[in-house]
Formats: sequence, C-alpha cells, structure tokens
Amino acid sequence: MATRRKRSVSEIIDEYFADFDKWAEGFREVITEAPSWNLRNCSIEPLHNMMITPKEVLVTVDLPFTSKSTVKVEPVSGNALEITAKMKRKIRLDDLGIAYCKGEFEKLHSHLLIPVSVNMKKMDVQYKKGILEIHIPRKHQRPT
Amino acid sequence: MSEEVKIIERRKIPFGATLIFGFPDVGLVGVIAASYLIDELNLEEVAYLDSKLLPPLIVLHEGLPHSSIRIFADDNILLAISEAPIPVDVIYPIMDALIDWGKNKNVKMMISLSGLPIQDRQDAKELKAFAAASNPEALKIAQDKSIEVLTEGYMVGPQAIMLQRAANAGTPALTLLAQCFFNYPDPEAAAEVLKDLGKITGLKVEVAKLLEKGEEIRLRARDVMRRTQEEMSKTKKGQEYDIPMYVS
Repeated sequence: MATRRKRSVSEIIDEYFADFDKWAEGFREVITEAPSWNLRNCSIEPLHNMMITPKEVLVTVDLPFTSKSTVKVEPVSGNALEITAKMKRKIRLDDLGIAYCKGEFEKLHSHLLIPVSVNMKKMDVQYKKGILEIHIPRKHQRPT
Repeated sequence: MSEEVKIIERRKIPFGATLIFGFPDVGLVGVIAASYLIDELNLEEVAYLDSKLLPPLIVLHEGLPHSSIRIFADDNILLAISEAPIPVDVIYPIMDALIDWGKNKNVKMMISLSGLPIQDRQDAKELKAFAAASNPEALKIAQDKSIEVLTEGYMVGPQAIMLQRAANAGTPALTLLAQCFFNYPDPEAAAEVLKDLGKITGLKVEVAKLLEKGEEIRLRARDVMRRTQEEMSKTKKGQEYDIPMYVS
C-alpha cells in the first residue's frame, strides 16, 4: 500500500493560501469579465492550458507572433508563473479590429497560478512552433 | 422552418449548391477555414439567421449590425458561418433550421468543416484529416478521394447534429475533420480541411496565404476561442476523446 509523507505545518498553510488564491481568482473572473488585453502594460493575455498529472503539472501557452529568444518564464512565490514574450512587432488595437480606444501592444503576458505544490527548480521549458510547453514536477507525486 | 429560428434571405439563393458549415469548435478549424473561403472566393452574404434563442449579440461590420450566423454564396457554394460560439441549448433548433433551409434549396450535399483534437499537437509534423458521412454513398465519395474515414468514436457539437439530421432526412452529408489543437486556434488544421474540401467539391483553394497569416489569425482569434471553449465544456466536448463501447 502506498504511504503518504506527513506534510509540515508550513506546507499545509501554503496549500491553504494557494487554494484561497485560486478561489479568489475564479471569483474575480465571475464578477468582472475583464478584456484579454491590458493597455497599461501594453500586453495581451495569451491562451493557456494546464494539465495536472500524478507526477507533474504541464502548462502550455499559445504565443503567436513571438520568437523563442524573447520568452521569459519566471516562478513567483512558489505557486505561480509569470510568462512574458515580446511580439515580433507592435500591434495596435485597430489592427485587431478595436476602434473605440487607442493603444498598442508589444508583448504577451500571463500570470498563472499552479493549484498544487510543485518543484519550480526542476521546471523544464520548451518552445515549439509558437507553443510554450512547461513541465513542472509535483512535490507530492502520486503513484500512477 | 421553425418559428423560433428564421433564415432571412437578402439575395437570390442558388439551387443545387453545396452547403458548407464553419462553426466555432475545437481549434476554430471550421470558422478559420470558412472565413478564408469567403475571402478567397469573394462570396457574398445572401442570408442570415434571426432567432431570439441566440444571445443578444450582433456583429458590427463597417458600423452596421449583422447576425452572428450568416450565409454567404456564389453560384455553386452556400456557406454558413457563425462568428460567435453557438450556445449548447440552441444547437438543435439552429441546425434543424439550417438543414431544413438547405433541403428547400435542394442542396446537393452538406459539408461541415471541423477539427479533431490530438494530444501533443505541437509535436505533430503532419496533420491528418478524416471524414464521417450521413450515408454510405457520401462516405464512398470521401473514400474515392483517398480521405481516411473516422470509423468509430464520438462526435459532439453542431457537426454531429448536422450529420445525424442529414442522415434522417436522406441528404448526403460529410464532416471533414483535421487533427488540431483543442483550445488554440489552428490555421494549419484549417488548411488541411480545406485541401480535402477541394478534393470533394473541386474547389481550387490555395492555402498558402492562410498559412502565411497563421500567427496573425492565432492572435486575433484568442477571444472567440476562449468563448468557444466555455461552450465546449458545456457540451462535454471532451467526450470525443472517450474510448467507444460498442454494442453490436
């Protein structure tokens, strides 16, 4: 029978706050449907997908109009990722068919919360055809 | 035609054409392919769908309101496209109305364009396309053009209803599906499905421009993809991944 390692108090507290952040993020999305772009930091939010397996968290992000050399993936506070990628050229809002306000974008930016404990130091990042693929091993790996 | 869903004709509709559907679904394959066809073939808007069942949404083009579901045409093609995802609870009445309308226009065949999501799509070097049909005769048309048949499995969404209703009505219909991303716009998959559409209909569609504009399309289509994903989760779209349980 598989045995489960006892978690420390700090790990339990970390997970509690991670769960709370996730809930709060979902609640924010429900009450304020924000646009997928941000003129203040000149960024567009890319599409992403997250899959949690017993061994790892696999995140993919669609980063069109970018090149590999400008992609930055930075862990934030142990349970979040900050992803930015500079676009090959600046895109104006009216290029995207939005005419009621003015502005331009120079990067894709995403802040992703990881809902389980992961080992960010062992994160593996790949970029294939404009798709960013991030593998992060889970701290508490489940038997497969 | 249903009282709840009306198709308003703005121009003369050709009889005996092929009716093509491009609706939001996995990878937005159908919508991307249909939009490209409208541009490449200079199709004209000939009709639109009006229904209180749809969300209170219009699409503005050059300052004028348009229905999110419109029909474009030339002498040989009728093409129905939706610029917004179709809510799951109205897919049946919408597809019923479009299929009845198509039958009244004596269409020779109905073809829906869509995708088939695969894992690790970013690693795929070549994308395959498949066909499913409303009857054996339509299936043979695809096989004769060397298009692989999707022999078993589940299909969810407008293209599933189109095939089923067309089968009930005895109308020849095909669904063409290219391997694609589940929730990222996939212009490469749209190009694949257009190649097979060309084999079936004889349409000559050069997809090079579509592939060139691929990154721009992926950027512009993000929001429609996001909304489509929300609707797909309500239709249990992930069921297409399920291993079928056959009862013979």
